Amino acid sequence: MVLNTVLIIGGSGFLGCHLVDRFAALSPAPAIHVLDIRPLPAIPPEFYSFDPETIVFHKGDITDPSSLRDIYRAVKPDIVVHSASPIHGMGKEIYYKVNVDGTRAIIDVATEPEFKGIIKGLVYTSSASVIYNGDDLRNADESTPMPDKQMDAYNETKALGEKMVLAASSADFKTVALRPSAMFGPGDRQLIPNMAEVTYTFGTRFQIGDNWNIFDFTYIGNVAHAHVLAAQKLVDEKTSQRVAGEPFIITNNEPVYFFTVPRKVWAMKGVVPGFTIKISRPVGFFLAYMSELVAKLRGKEALFTRFRVSFTCANRYFNINKAIRYLDYEPIVKLEDGIERSLRFLTYEEELKAKTLAEKKSE
Amino acid sequence: MSKYLQLLAHPSELRAVIQWSVWHDPVYPREPEKESENLKRCYELLNYTSRSFSAVIQELSPELRVVIAIFYLILRGLDTIEDDMTIPNPTKLPILRSFHEVIDTPGWTYNDSKEKDAVVLREFDKVIIEYQNLKDKYKVVIKDITKEMGHGMASYCENEDFNKKGVDTVKDYDLYCHYVAGIIGDGLTRLGVEAGVANPKLLDNPQLYESMGLLLQKTNIIRDYHEDLMDNRRFWPKEIWQKYAKSLDDFAKPENEAAGLDCLSEMVANAIEHVPDCLFYLAGIKEQSMFNFCTIPQVMAIATLELVYRNPKVLTGHVKIRKGLACKLMLEAVNVRTTYDTFQEYCHKIQARNTPRDPMYVRISVACAKVDQFIETVFPTKFVPQTAANNAFLVFGLSFAVVGILIVYTIFLLD
Repeated sequence: MVLNTVLIIGGSGFLGCHLVDRFAALSPAPAIHVLDIRPLPAIPPEFYSFDPETIVFHKGDITDPSSLRDIYRAVKPDIVVHSASPIHGMGKEIYYKVNVDGTRAIIDVATEPEFKGIIKGLVYTSSASVIYNGDDLRNADESTPMPDKQMDAYNETKALGEKMVLAASSADFKTVALRPSAMFGPGDRQLIPNMAEVTYTFGTRFQIGDNWNIFDFTYIGNVAHAHVLAAQKLVDEKTSQRVAGEPFIITNNEPVYFFTVPRKVWAMKGVVPGFTIKISRPVGFFLAYMSELVAKLRGKEALFTRFRVSFTCANRYFNINKAIRYLDYEPIVKLEDGIERSLRFLTYEEELKAKTLAEKKSE
Repeated sequence: MSKYLQLLAHPSELRAVIQWSVWHDPVYPREPEKESENLKRCYELLNYTSRSFSAVIQELSPELRVVIAIFYLILRGLDTIEDDMTIPNPTKLPILRSFHEVIDTPGWTYNDSKEKDAVVLREFDKVIIEYQNLKDKYKVVIKDITKEMGHGMASYCENEDFNKKGVDTVKDYDLYCHYVAGIIGDGLTRLGVEAGVANPKLLDNPQLYESMGLLLQKTNIIRDYHEDLMDNRRFWPKEIWQKYAKSLDDFAKPENEAAGLDCLSEMVANAIEHVPDCLFYLAGIKEQSMFNFCTIPQVMAIATLELVYRNPKVLTGHVKIRKGLACKLMLEAVNVRTTYDTFQEYCHKIQARNTPRDPMYVRISVACAKVDQFIETVFPTKFVPQTAANNAFLVFGLSFAVVGILIVYTIFLLD
């Protein structure tokens, strides 16, 4: 069976736009519906190949079952893709409301008798961080257990959401959870922009740790591609049994020494420091502790934190053989091309900002 | 003289040379008194024609020693015909294409070659005698490989484009290396499996033995850039070099050194991407002498890649790993663990010299990290919770508190 209609919850977000893009690239393309609290952002054609006119937008609240029910009735999706998630820093309550209550409602309404035989399954965007407890992850795969205590409230709610989704898998409603690691790409507000911000500061001259620690960064388009594959496997009777109820870790399958990516970003912006000051992890930890302390005293948010130090020094790479084997997953964009695209997008946004500013001035 | 000075500069290698020459005992020493005159002559030919392989072949188990020595000499004969530019194609091609029948023709010799190794062809009847004495199961493999290789070589000799312009795409480059090295990996694996010294599963994964051959061949092609150029031979694929220069020959000119080094980086990146497969393969060898035979050329290759990586001398002359280093590598590559350590050491040396200015920066970092990742699958790191380290930092940190505060203060001032 082919995919006729797909409903992308959170389709206006960072990953959401790339999901729309990859689903729209299918041939034949399914009817694509987006459910979000805000409309699709402006879609620059240099970075996305779909026509926003062909996408049906539904404004709705996933924590409200009746709103969800109306949209399911109107759309009749074969597959629901749930990639709505609040951005970091919103607070515990919001995380719970969206990631736990929202996910609960999405499952509960979809499994109501009236949608039996219509909605065949759900693809949930989880996170590779659900198996991260601060210790090194080397070649971690899906058999690595979730830690008893998650790193933070965000991961805690993502893990709860994933458990609900996978437990809900049945013959009539099959589910898959995808766990991408460190996503970046056009539309990204965190990873690459944060690295780019450091470019013209002294920060490019610092290295914390020995830089033999390996990290998996994942280009957003590859994550979206994995979602499309999962949706296709779920609607196909021949393959759905093997993937239903299963989590899959998704990476670019190009692990690198951590500082390779920020240094590449800086080099692309024309900065290659002549020397680097290496700080060992414990010293870095201590400095971060002091920086947090000082920031607290000054009532500001610290930029240099212990969390960032441990993130920078950690081994966090995965074995994605399960996704390769059962989802036929293979990254479609190389790490280096992904970094290049991300930077191009940042430049595009800056130029756009400058242009609108200039226009306003001339008015 | 410079050789001895080099040794003094690298004491660990001096130790290795002494250790190798004085205390090294082959796993299976040859027993010349039990060998026929004909076979002894074959080993002499082997010594004469093979610089790197002769010693490891002669230390193989008695079951495989003759088999692989004869296999080597047959391929050497084939290669000598192919390399000899004085033999015109109408004579050369039929010999290459029928070489698998030549080895079944007692008394066959070839006396018109001017190549350095032509002695093998002049005394090829002796090689044929020993080939005929081998067990049938080995003869079949050797015949198959000889046929495939002979046909492959003939098609390259015929290919005008290849002879004039060299290798075009990366795919062609891999294919060329397949014909001159990948096929040998295939043959050796089949011989090893027949003799019970290699895991039969290695035959189900052609990519593994293919990579074994390709890593060696590509390393030679990279290292021999200048020498091949002088001989008017070009093996670096155009698809790669055209990104850096208008002609492959340009890299030898001093003004093109920077471009040449960038191109060299891409050639090295392309080669080290075979390493995880090679490491996987080596884990499938079940017998010590065969393991040494397979591993020694591989560790030489990774050390050579480290030597040539971003080394301008490659573009203008010949580079070679030091004799002492070679001894050290041979002494260290005794089992899977030590071999993996050696590979990791040299990959890390490459990565340590990797710079963001290099167009291959990310690719080389990924290739080296993938070697680490593979080794981790075979020998997982002992798990050490970071929480202990985190507590240690406070104790450590407090004693440096004053310094810390000062540094943080400076950082904030800079902000």
